[in-house]
Amino acid sequence: MKLLLKFDFTKVCNAVLEQRLEAHQLKYQQTAFGEIELLDKVSEEKLDTFYNDINDFGIDVVKDPKKIVIQKIKDVIVDMVFNEKDINVKTSVYLAEKLNENYSYLSNLFSEVTYTSIENFIILQKIEYTKILLTKEELSLTEIAFKLNYSSVAHLSRQFKNTTGITPSAFQRIIAKRKQIN
Amino acid sequence: MPTPSSRYLRTAFVAGLFVILCIGGYTYQHINELSKASKVVKDNYSLRSELELVISNLKDAEIGHRGYLLTHDSLFLAPYEESLQKISNNLVNLDTLIVPNSEQVDKLKDLNNDIQKRFKNFSNSFARVKDSEVLTKDLLYLLHEGEIQMDTIRSDISEMLDLEQRLLVQNQEISQGKIGLTPLLFYGLLILTLVILLLAYIKMTTDLKALKESNTELEISEKLTKQSEIVSNTSTWVWYMEENEFEFSDNLYRLLGEEPHSFEPTLINFYKFVHEEDLTNLGHRVNLMMKEGELPFTSFRVVHKDGTIKHLKAYSKLMDETDGEKKIFGVTVDATNEVENYRIIEQRNQELERTNKELSAFNYVASHDLQEPLRKIQTFMSRLEAKEKDHISESGQIYIQRMKSASARMRMLIEDLLQYSRTNTSEKEYLKTNMNLLLEHAKTELIDSIEEKRAKIICDDLPTMEVISFQIQQLFINIISNSLKYSKEDVPPVIEITHEEVLSRDVKQIKNSLYKYHHKITFKDNGIGFEQPYAEKIFLLFNRLHGKSEYSGTGIGLAICKKIVENHKGVIVAEGEPNKGATFNIYLPFLK
Amino acid sequence: MNSDYINLALADDDEDDRLFFTEAFEELKVRSNVSLFKDGIELMNYLDDSNNAIPNLLFLDLNMPKKSGLECLKEIKASQRFKDMAIAIYSTSASEEDIENTFVIGANVYIKKPNDFEKLKKVLSEVVTTNWQYHTSGLNKENFLLRL
Repeated sequence: MKLLLKFDFTKVCNAVLEQRLEAHQLKYQQTAFGEIELLDKVSEEKLDTFYNDINDFGIDVVKDPKKIVIQKIKDVIVDMVFNEKDINVKTSVYLAEKLNENYSYLSNLFSEVTYTSIENFIILQKIEYTKILLTKEELSLTEIAFKLNYSSVAHLSRQFKNTTGITPSAFQRIIAKRKQIN
Repeated sequence: MPTPSSRYLRTAFVAGLFVILCIGGYTYQHINELSKASKVVKDNYSLRSELELVISNLKDAEIGHRGYLLTHDSLFLAPYEESLQKISNNLVNLDTLIVPNSEQVDKLKDLNNDIQKRFKNFSNSFARVKDSEVLTKDLLYLLHEGEIQMDTIRSDISEMLDLEQRLLVQNQEISQGKIGLTPLLFYGLLILTLVILLLAYIKMTTDLKALKESNTELEISEKLTKQSEIVSNTSTWVWYMEENEFEFSDNLYRLLGEEPHSFEPTLINFYKFVHEEDLTNLGHRVNLMMKEGELPFTSFRVVHKDGTIKHLKAYSKLMDETDGEKKIFGVTVDATNEVENYRIIEQRNQELERTNKELSAFNYVASHDLQEPLRKIQTFMSRLEAKEKDHISESGQIYIQRMKSASARMRMLIEDLLQYSRTNTSEKEYLKTNMNLLLEHAKTELIDSIEEKRAKIICDDLPTMEVISFQIQQLFINIISNSLKYSKEDVPPVIEITHEEVLSRDVKQIKNSLYKYHHKITFKDNGIGFEQPYAEKIFLLFNRLHGKSEYSGTGIGLAICKKIVENHKGVIVAEGEPNKGATFNIYLPFLK
Repeated sequence: MNSDYINLALADDDEDDRLFFTEAFEELKVRSNVSLFKDGIELMNYLDDSNNAIPNLLFLDLNMPKKSGLECLKEIKASQRFKDMAIAIYSTSASEEDIENTFVIGANVYIKKPNDFEKLKKVLSEVVTTNWQYHTSGLNKENFLLRL
């Protein structure tokens, strides 16, 4: 039988992390999403084993400080989009607040490291979320556009097409046909 | 079943007969009455004359009597005796003449008595005759008595005559009463019979005329049938179920290649002509027909004496059993031409399909395979430009530019040709689609161009119909992109898309369509338009109204539009006004 | 961008296209390991060999002799082994339906071979970048659909 699932990424990631930490008997404290502080001193060997373990789950330890920031920016954006946060301020203001940094600094850093702008990244995330919503088949495109704060369906359509190269309806068609085959 | 007219005639005949019998009866009765009446008169007359004779004879007797009395000559006795005899005869006659039981009988009795008295008187008087005296007292007395008796007799007779007269008049009256109306009745009935006869005559002549006419019509009809059978290569036959007999029309023999009535119309003789391969099947069907009274359309071949093979189709149904006889009426048609034509058409169709497929494949492969080397040329040129720019002279760079634009143009041509060949494929599915969606997709495809030119597209609600979605989408894209391309400089293009349902017969270009209704979708723009005389040319392949330096284009776009519309059995019509704009009317048929 | 290098593979029977491809990636300065194959059979032999590393991203031409790109695509999709490998169809052209069809069968990307080298570089770069995004941001690979 078929089950369609929705993932609460934050929860899932935290759960896995907790489990692995406990498996390796590491005492820790979670300071923020994506940030933990190990309370005891741990050997390089044990750390490596731990790193390899959580690697299998797709969790990487970010060592580069710049990368840390980037990752945080990404996390905030992902959280904002996928958890359908209703923000009344501009994204730039929101990010600056959340990360306690100047927005232009964040923006420049992001472009430098990822070679793509924050705006682009946000668009990418929105489109990805649109794809997820479209796959679930519960909402119409108009409703999705509204949910994601687009000014119109046409706007969403256009962005979708610009980003992926195909129209939302083509996407739906393809997903539907794929389901049929499987 | 006697027809109404024959029933009428029968009635008329019976009535006439009845009338005549009546007349006969009445006549007989009348004549009877007449003869009775005349007998009565005769009798009356006889009676009268008898009575008169009695008087006369009595007188004679008296004369004789007197003569004797006077002369005592026995010469006078002879007439006297004669008269007496005569009177007796008279009395006998009278007796026979008188109707028994009537008044007259009594009167006759009286008369008889009185006459007997007279006779007695006579004889008494004779006895009293003495030679000596002529008239004695007794004789005188007797003569007086005789005279009185004569008076009595006279009065008797007179009474009898009167009575007779009365009786006669009475009888006449009665007779008259009985037969008085008879002549009138007689004439009346006679006239009635005449009228009936006349009517019957009229009816018969008109019926006869009608019969003759319908007979002639039947003859003509039969001739026509025979003729039409010959001309249309059909024939008819009848199977009388009860007697198990067949009747073949003349042409059925001819369909078998024989002269009419050249053999006896039986199943066995017919089967002799049927092609051996079709014999079993036909036999089955015929047997079924004999059981169920119906032969569904059956095809079979027959072989003529000279070897020609013909395709026949037979069909039969039970006829009305109006006159009690069960008949099956059948039609056999020579379908050889039909079969032949069909075969030819099938063949041609297959050839055409094959040719089409080859052309399509050629088209596709050619366009597709032409793209590869072209792409390489373009890519290498761009590599050349990028990498070797510093090593190439100015003129060299110009050449490269020219090469680039030429190959760009070639690429456009090939892409359009490819698109054109794609509209040709015959294995497309027609699915019920909401055309509004297709229009939306088209607009999304062209969104960049639309925004660049700040174009406005106003559209009506479009219907849902059975179409090949990709093709209609391409159609919309091509037309809108056309309008965008040929827009006026500095004037943002406005494209109005409207829809209405039209009756095919109201539109010149589709009035001969087999479909009664068409959807009319109109694309109207405010661009540079075109001159109306070119309205049909613009749909021709490779036809362009502008040089390639003015407007880019391959001249294939509208040809593709026309092909797509034709794939949907529709028509596309263009109207243009230079500097005002162009209107494209797309007519697509549908069933309401 | 990506500090790790990426394993790329290209199956294309055309020599020139293979040349363009490798030159483009050289100029893009992407740290990549490019494997080239002339036809479908060579490709599948390589992929089926468990000793070989599975590419992150496979560029697949459709018109190849012996075994067409479509056939390879179907085979690859049928095996669980390649579920993390993104597949980009790299072709001259095809009709709308054919393009959609390749997506339905399981391709992630459809690239119409550009006729300009700079464009080619741009396209390839976008593919690689987007693929990288999916890889690093934990996005659902199933929804990785890109048409260029």
